[in-house]
Amino acid sequence: MLDTLGNSLKDAVKKLSGKTVIDRAAVDELVRDLQRALLSADVNVRLVMQLSQSIKKRALEEEPPKGMGVRVHVLRIVYQELVRLMGRTGEVSLEPQTILMAGLQGSGKTTTTAKLARYFQRKGLRVAVICADTFRPGAYDQLKTLCDRISVPCFGDPAESDALAIVREGLPRFRKQYEVIIIDTQGRHALEENLIQEIIQINEIAHPDHRWLVIDAALGQQASEQARRFHDAIGIDGVIVTKMDGTAKGGGALSAVAETRSGIVFIGSGETIEDLERFDPDGFISRLLGMGDLKALVERAEEAVSTDEIDVNAMLKGKFTLRDMYKQLEALNRMGPLRQIMSMLPLGGMQIPDEAYDITSTKMQRYRVIMDSMTPSELDDPSIIGSARVQRIARGAGVTPEDVRELIKYYKIMQRALKGMRGMDGGKFNMQRMMKKFGGPGR
Amino acid sequence: MFDSLKKKLQNIRTKFASNIEEAAEVEVEPQQTSGTAEAAPPLARPEPPAALEERERPTLINRVKVFVREREILIREKDIEEPLAELEMVLLENDVALPVTDEIISRMRADLVGRHRGLGASVDDLVVSTLRSALCGVLGEGLDLLRYVQEHERPVKILFTGVNGTGKTTTVAKVGHYLQKNGFSVVIGAGDTFRAGAIEQIVTHADRLGIRVVHHQPGADPSAVLFDAVQYAKAHNIDVVLADTAGRFHNRANLMNQLEKIRRVMKPDLVVYVDEAVAGNDAVIRADEFNRTVGTDAVVLTKADMDPRGGAAISIAHTVGKPILFLGTGQGYDDIMPFEPRAMVDELLGGGD
Ligand SMILES: Nc1nc2c(ncn2[C@@H]2O[C@H](COP(=O)(O)OP(=O)(O)O)[C@@H](O)[C@H]2O)c(=O)[nH]1
Ligand SMILES: Nc1nc2c(ncn2[C@@H]2O[C@H](COP(=O)(O)OP(=O)(O)O)[C@@H](O)[C@H]2O)c(=O)[nH]1
Ligand SMILES: [Mg+2]
Ligand SMILES: [Mg+2]
Repeated sequence: MLDTLGNSLKDAVKKLSGKTVIDRAAVDELVRDLQRALLSADVNVRLVMQLSQSIKKRALEEEPPKGMGVRVHVLRIVYQELVRLMGRTGEVSLEPQTILMAGLQGSGKTTTTAKLARYFQRKGLRVAVICADTFRPGAYDQLKTLCDRISVPCFGDPAESDALAIVREGLPRFRKQYEVIIIDTQGRHALEENLIQEIIQINEIAHPDHRWLVIDAALGQQASEQARRFHDAIGIDGVIVTKMDGTAKGGGALSAVAETRSGIVFIGSGETIEDLERFDPDGFISRLLGMGDLKALVERAEEAVSTDEIDVNAMLKGKFTLRDMYKQLEALNRMGPLRQIMSMLPLGGMQIPDEAYDITSTKMQRYRVIMDSMTPSELDDPSIIGSARVQRIARGAGVTPEDVRELIKYYKIMQRALKGMRGMDGGKFNMQRMMKKFGGPGR
Repeated sequence: MFDSLKKKLQNIRTKFASNIEEAAEVEVEPQQTSGTAEAAPPLARPEPPAALEERERPTLINRVKVFVREREILIREKDIEEPLAELEMVLLENDVALPVTDEIISRMRADLVGRHRGLGASVDDLVVSTLRSALCGVLGEGLDLLRYVQEHERPVKILFTGVNGTGKTTTVAKVGHYLQKNGFSVVIGAGDTFRAGAIEQIVTHADRLGIRVVHHQPGADPSAVLFDAVQYAKAHNIDVVLADTAGRFHNRANLMNQLEKIRRVMKPDLVVYVDEAVAGNDAVIRADEFNRTVGTDAVVLTKADMDPRGGAAISIAHTVGKPILFLGTGQGYDDIMPFEPRAMVDELLGGGD
């Protein structure tokens, strides 16, 4: 049934192709199919109506950028509006932190608590969890069993009936020794006032850095109301969508994100501890709509219309981060032998050190793993990475500290090379246009 | 549960009625002299009974109406387009899945359009009876578990199935309690050997309720556990075996095969599919898959206390065409309600109150 929906959406999109003027009927049809796709993905009905109104309005009012067909123009609007609705992707820092888990009964809080413990453990952080579910029979055994499998300490007491007492006792016990503390709680819903009060109190005692709402991908129209109540109670700053390995589309989570003005931090995709993924907005949108290629399509079209200019001047002024470096490497790597490319770039007579060329795709892969274990601030400013951080990053990435130092050294070489370009005229050059000459990205 | 749906349906009912009446009055229009204040089509109509009273006033338009009262009015699609669109919204907002909503709407349309009605007949009655038959058609009949157990050979074996976290284990405990209260003896088979803490969970529930649990070690073959539970019941003259199972997704072939094996081994009398009232459109897909791969004889809908809408009941009942046995309405052992579709539809549509 859902495939049919995806197909009818595709058909509706097809009707717009080849058109040069906006055809009101075709837009109407597209918007109607879009509505149906979103409704059957469980996005909040009112949200769907608002969304489709603004898509329609923009599709009919906005002039397509020169050179962009009507079909892509409309799809681009659809994509942009969905991305807007999705909010920012929840940021996950690798700093010491306390996380409070919240959600409806059976949504997957306990399983996700263990998955998160695993995630932070892999990043090289010391993790402990607290079982503040004193209600559900077997709750402590469940969490303890999962934590034992990964040797993460779990504090709790199946004989205690006061969740607040557990949190009061468990936190100080773990705070000195552990960097990440995750508090699992019992399930509750918006209409259970006493339980809502309980989590308000847990929140007051624990002062968590994050309060994450765990939402079952299959949750329907209740998502908005439930999220609102949790948000009012404790201020939700991230949503985790569980059970995405089933056939549910997770539209309820989108409603929850809209309600809490937060973002999706993780996706649960299975029953084992390893089944946790960072959120990928484009994959999520594709799944919602039942059509796979929206972003790629839009991007290809945008590229054809106006290529993004990379501001070399900004980089020269020292804004060159590890992230930039990685992006550049990735792009360059796709184009073929690096030395050849570099020699064709308009870099004037500048000298590029030989080491800069010495990068293979296996190395790229290792760099990626290492960078995944870094915090955002480390990625933005690698100069803060001292030897303690090198140790931590290495532990998290499962590499030697030498590997980490090598990456940083490579970064410094690149940075110096860029500084050497200072003073070159025509500071702005069009990286993408260059790339296209050599076969373009995406090959 | 169902409160919000109920309120909305009441509004819709009035809307249908006034739209059809409006259409009727428009049809009368050519015969009336223009300029009378009363000739304006009623915009916001008061309650239907009040409207009828108003019609009896000897205004010009009412006198005209008397002439055509015997004439039949044909209900056209455009007369009910708007309230139908509104009904569609109401159903969707109340979590009735899209395909099921589509079906209810088209049933309503087919039933109403082209119908003749004498101006004397009450529009309200017509709309209510059409809605009632649409909803009843979708909800089907209920199932009285006590009677079922009474009428079948003991032990009656009930297998609980469903996806992860919907409330199977809790439901097993509640149903055990319900049967015990009604004089039947019960044994539980701890068929979830997979999820961490699952055996502790069911054993704790059963201990509190004084119900015997047959269980093996974590990781054991669930078929073997449940087979043993049945043997235990036979040996001890127990009336009912309640078989818990691990949650599983319908798109995992190996897990569904495992469930199929359980079914072959323990030969349940009833396969009860458990899902939650807050599930959205996926409720339809997974209910359908479970029904097709291992079969479903009855449905339990849990967590109805979370959700005053209750559309999932309509979606699932419609999809599998099997009776809803219970609603779960909380985490306590008494939070379970036998489901009576007729009572629910009456409740939804109200007796005009
Ligand atoms: N397939 C699948 N099952 C999950 C996922 N997350 C949780 N579960 C299962 O959902 C059920 C409820 O999870 P649990 O962590 O106990 O939920 P809680 O009541 O919120 O703590 C269990 O059977 C879990 O194994 C997921 O991402 N995928
Ligand atoms: N509010 C509410 N919670 C329920 C209901 N039925 C089950 N639960 C809760 O939902 C969670 C998952 O239930 P469980 O029986 O373990 O689900 P299973 O994984 O399908 O066996 C537990 O926290 C239960 O207490 C219900 O009718 N209402
Ligand atoms: Mg839990
Ligand atoms: Mg269970």
